[in-house]
Amino acid sequence: MLEQYGLLLGLIVGATGFVLSLYAIARATGKTQQEPGKDVPATGGQLSRDPVWVRYHARYYGYALLFLAFDMEMAFMYPWAVVYKQVGLVALLDMGVFLAILFLGLLYGWSQGVLRRQ
Amino acid sequence: MTTALILLLLAVGAYLVAVIEAWTMNGRWQLAAPITAGIALLGRESIVPRKPDRVFFEVAPVLLLISALLAATVLPLTPGLIITDLATGVLFINAALVYVLVALLMAGWGPNGAYAMIGGWRFLGQLIAYAMLIVMPVTAVAMRAESLLTTQIVTSQADLWNILYQPLGFVLFFVAAMALAFLPPFDLTTATSELAGGVEAEYSGVRLAVFRLGRLVLVITLAATIVVFYLGGWQGPWLPPWAWSAIKILAVTALMLLAGPALPRVREADLLSLCWKLGIPLALLNIFVVGLQVLVWP
Repeated sequence: MLEQYGLLLGLIVGATGFVLSLYAIARATGKTQQEPGKDVPATGGQLSRDPVWVRYHARYYGYALLFLAFDMEMAFMYPWAVVYKQVGLVALLDMGVFLAILFLGLLYGWSQGVLRRQ
Repeated sequence: MTTALILLLLAVGAYLVAVIEAWTMNGRWQLAAPITAGIALLGRESIVPRKPDRVFFEVAPVLLLISALLAATVLPLTPGLIITDLATGVLFINAALVYVLVALLMAGWGPNGAYAMIGGWRFLGQLIAYAMLIVMPVTAVAMRAESLLTTQIVTSQADLWNILYQPLGFVLFFVAAMALAFLPPFDLTTATSELAGGVEAEYSGVRLAVFRLGRLVLVITLAATIVVFYLGGWQGPWLPPWAWSAIKILAVTALMLLAGPALPRVREADLLSLCWKLGIPLALLNIFVVGLQVLVWP
């Protein structure tokens, strides 16, 4: 078990090493020359009028709140899915009630106009 | 040994994705193009934009590559050809692929450029749309296999592939996988025509090469995921298992790439409302129907 995760860690380190070696090759073939105006971000050749790191209006926040509820629910779904066949109909009813309540939440949000770009 | 072989196959797969993608764009088979383009990118200057968040800017391309790579480790190509057969395999794929979002947000925030920033936040909205359509169909797959082991998911489809057992789940997962790989028509985050490349806009040279490599690996990984979950993995008559895996993965890749250029880019608001008003009710219906099927028709 520990070996498996060790292997995964090794892959992360190996991939990072691969990328670093690519950078080294690119560096060996020539350095980036510092020239005026070269480092301006892609905004039509001039700096943007306003700063970029501002509060972005996430107009999908209604969806995002519902998403949190559904994402939490998925944490319960995986163990349930594994034992589902053993437990049988009771499991279907248990999760059915749980999902029905969540789905009612979705319908309520929908009726209140949450499911649109604000 | 297995690890090295699978990494080699992933590299070949990424190359083939690039070839197929070019074919869907211009209808020609340019076999050398991905290699020459890669070498050309290595030779070019890799410019760092002014006043960046240097950590985010440097980490993003590597993280995209690593997340796609890690998701591929738990996918079996033949009965023995798998890097790690984790007991939590399905969950691990989800966990690894969520880092695609983190990588793209970093690539959006890091360079301090307006287009990149919008691209990054757009992908967050895209995640809110597609994420449920990844996990819910996968739950139905695990219900049938009674396991989160990917190898057991393949063997559970010996009698009937999941694409026939739960076609609704397949369609939902396929669309969600395309959105996850930000392939057209879901390429909101890199939209060349409106955002000048979006999260890719500020990357150049070798960093762009790593970013694009990560994306290609992501596409081939997702195609392999679809094959393992829905198309019976290595199973099939006459041909050996590795051949079936290869044929299926390439066919799914071609399908994912062909669907894009024929369709206009989806708007973020439309994608969100489509996924939540149509996709999620259908995904819940899929779980319910599969639940009944598993009990009634073992």
